Amino acid sequence: MTLKTIKMLATVVVASTIGLASASADVLDTIKERGKLIVGVKADYKPYGFLDTSGAVIGIEPDLASDVAAKLGVEVEFVPVVSSNRMQFLEQGKIDLMIATMTDKPDRRDVVLIPDPNYYSSGTNILSLKSLGLKEWEDLRGKPVCGIQGAFYNKATSQNYGAEIVAFKGTAEAYSALKAGNCAAFVYDDSAIVAKTNDPEWADYEMPLPTIDDAPWGLAVQLGEGNFAALMSEMIVDWHKSGRILELETKWGVANTPFAKAMNEKYK
Amino acid sequence: MEFFFDWFRVLNQETGVNLPFLYDSYDRNRIFNGFLTTIWLSLVCLFFSVIIGVIGAWLQASSFKITRRIVNGYIQLFRNTPPLVQLYFFYFAIGTMLPRVENDWGGQSPLLGSFAWAAISLSFFAGAFNVEIFRSGIEAVPKSTVEAAEALGFSKLQIYKDITLPLAFRVVLPALNNNLVNLVKTTTLAYAIAVPELLYEANQIWSDNVNVTEMMIFLLLAYFVLVGVLVGGMNRWERSMKIPGYG
Amino acid sequence: MTFKTDLPVMMPVKPHEPEPFLRLKLWHVVPIALLCIVGTTLAFAADGDAKQSPLAVLMNWAPLLLRGFIFNLVISVSAMALGTAVGALLGLGQISPNRIMSGGSWFVTQFFRNAPWLVLLFFAMFLLPFELSILGLKIPFPDWFKAILGLSLPVMANVSEIVRGAVKSLPSGQWEAAESLAYTRRQTLWLIILPQCVKRMLPPWMNLYSILTMATVLASIVGVSEVMTLTGRALSAEGGRPELLAPFYGFVLLLFFVYCYPIARYTVRLEKKFAVIN
Repeated sequence: MTLKTIKMLATVVVASTIGLASASADVLDTIKERGKLIVGVKADYKPYGFLDTSGAVIGIEPDLASDVAAKLGVEVEFVPVVSSNRMQFLEQGKIDLMIATMTDKPDRRDVVLIPDPNYYSSGTNILSLKSLGLKEWEDLRGKPVCGIQGAFYNKATSQNYGAEIVAFKGTAEAYSALKAGNCAAFVYDDSAIVAKTNDPEWADYEMPLPTIDDAPWGLAVQLGEGNFAALMSEMIVDWHKSGRILELETKWGVANTPFAKAMNEKYK
Repeated sequence: MEFFFDWFRVLNQETGVNLPFLYDSYDRNRIFNGFLTTIWLSLVCLFFSVIIGVIGAWLQASSFKITRRIVNGYIQLFRNTPPLVQLYFFYFAIGTMLPRVENDWGGQSPLLGSFAWAAISLSFFAGAFNVEIFRSGIEAVPKSTVEAAEALGFSKLQIYKDITLPLAFRVVLPALNNNLVNLVKTTTLAYAIAVPELLYEANQIWSDNVNVTEMMIFLLLAYFVLVGVLVGGMNRWERSMKIPGYG
Repeated sequence: MTFKTDLPVMMPVKPHEPEPFLRLKLWHVVPIALLCIVGTTLAFAADGDAKQSPLAVLMNWAPLLLRGFIFNLVISVSAMALGTAVGALLGLGQISPNRIMSGGSWFVTQFFRNAPWLVLLFFAMFLLPFELSILGLKIPFPDWFKAILGLSLPVMANVSEIVRGAVKSLPSGQWEAAESLAYTRRQTLWLIILPQCVKRMLPPWMNLYSILTMATVLASIVGVSEVMTLTGRALSAEGGRPELLAPFYGFVLLLFFVYCYPIARYTVRLEKKFAVIN
């Protein structure tokens, strides 16, 4: 075997190792190479993620995603997701990052990587007419209550408090049905309801019950993307420290939530 | 009976084939009520769509141009737009414009609930097809028959009711049955406005139990049987109503 | 052969003569437009604040909704193509002399014809995987592709019935004549039977396409970004104002009407043109 062949072989081996290395490189490199960060966000969850008239997704979570893209120095692209497909999209690699109003639960941590700390929090509450004077969850017994198909609190509301759940596929239908009087209340995330009660359109409505099932929200990256997760942890701390979350809440017309205030205090 | 139901609970524990609507009494009730709602909604729509068809076909033969135009407009409008959007339009748009009534929990609720709107919307949808079906049947009745009835002193309404319609009805039965079978399948759309019919209840169960596969197969079989029984019954009816020597 | 009957002989059943297209066209748009306008004015009277009028809001969203509608059309054309290809094979299977073949095709046809479209769509959405691995090659199954597959199932069954019906409707003399001319079965089918069937199949096939187009909105229930989904998102972005519902849903009705009505008219014309004169 001549020296030449050995040299050539060595080059091939080295080149292929480099090639392999770049193939198994973490998602951060892929993003930078691509020049674009692809983020899964909600598109029917005002004000956290909703459409403007041109079809672009806007809201609190898209703004947070843009911050991440700016930090990485790349463009951002949004993919609308719904609760039933968001984790699959992430697993599949269709999206790099998911910021989609997802409640942080242990079983979800088995499937996706949720960096700490949590960026937001919400619980379950209802939106109902002030004139109905509802005070406790028990007051819902026997009344029709609008809900969203597939939400985990539907069954709890109907089994624990005896409400008759009338489940629609989207928020637009549920809000319309509530306003039309087809339901006595609409059971949903309290963060979205708070935003709704500030809307002059919904001035006659209130969020009368104590919030239950308060749970933090987690953004998520693919399992095994430790570097990206570490970067996101840093970003979340930064958001809390700088009051970015509070600022965005104000920008999109939500009253500052206790969770966001507490986190701001904690990291300041 | 309890033993039979419990067997399915064991089946779930042993094999993971989860059929909660058999062993869980809460889910069993839901599916059973869903089934009844589907059948009841189908019957109501069948009845009203046939009524709409008969009246529409009669109006279409009217000597007033404007009446004919209105019936034609109705037919084209309902035949050429998606029934799901019609349902949404009726339930959300027209439903909110109607006056409200006091309900038993102290609020104001619309005059008509989701079941009523589903029945109205689907009846109008199927009715649009029925009008044309009946009309083709009426045209198949020879003029001489009508003239003979006139000569016997029948009034216009009597001729339509006692002579034209019974004859036309037998002729159009195959087409009518086909449309009615379609109507039963279309009742699944009521799911979108939360009418608790079979599909809706099945959806509730699979979101609670995460057993989409089992529920999906059950649904397909349930509708296959439901529609199969209907088709069988209709065919028998068709044979017994057949005009001797025709067709 | 004589029939003993106490009923008079009936006229043959035929599809009725439709009213001319041009005279009716304008009139049909009137009720929808009227509903939109009535809805908007009613709401406008209710609260005349500085808010945009419902019609202006609708105009803002119209381009997006139109794009969604085009997606509906793409889904309908693809599902039709797929369903027709598979359905034609299934239909030929139904008239096969092989018992097992014809029985199997008959069963598949009946099964998918009797199942509601929405249930089939759910079936495709939830039971198909997100992606398929063939020989290590990963083929992703996006939602819209699953919707096409789900909608093509009932199309397939209906096309199969159309093919079978058309072949059966030809007089048996055609088969016998071909046989006496020493055509093989395949030759008879391809050279004699099917060419005659095309004309008979075209009107019901177009009817089916129209029905399919209207069924594409069902994809909204399973979350595909088509016109109804976008309408829902637009309405929730506008904060669930009830007075917007009538104009928005009315607009979607109008879109479909404008597309499907001409197809329906053309189908009727073809039906008349191809009508077999006895």
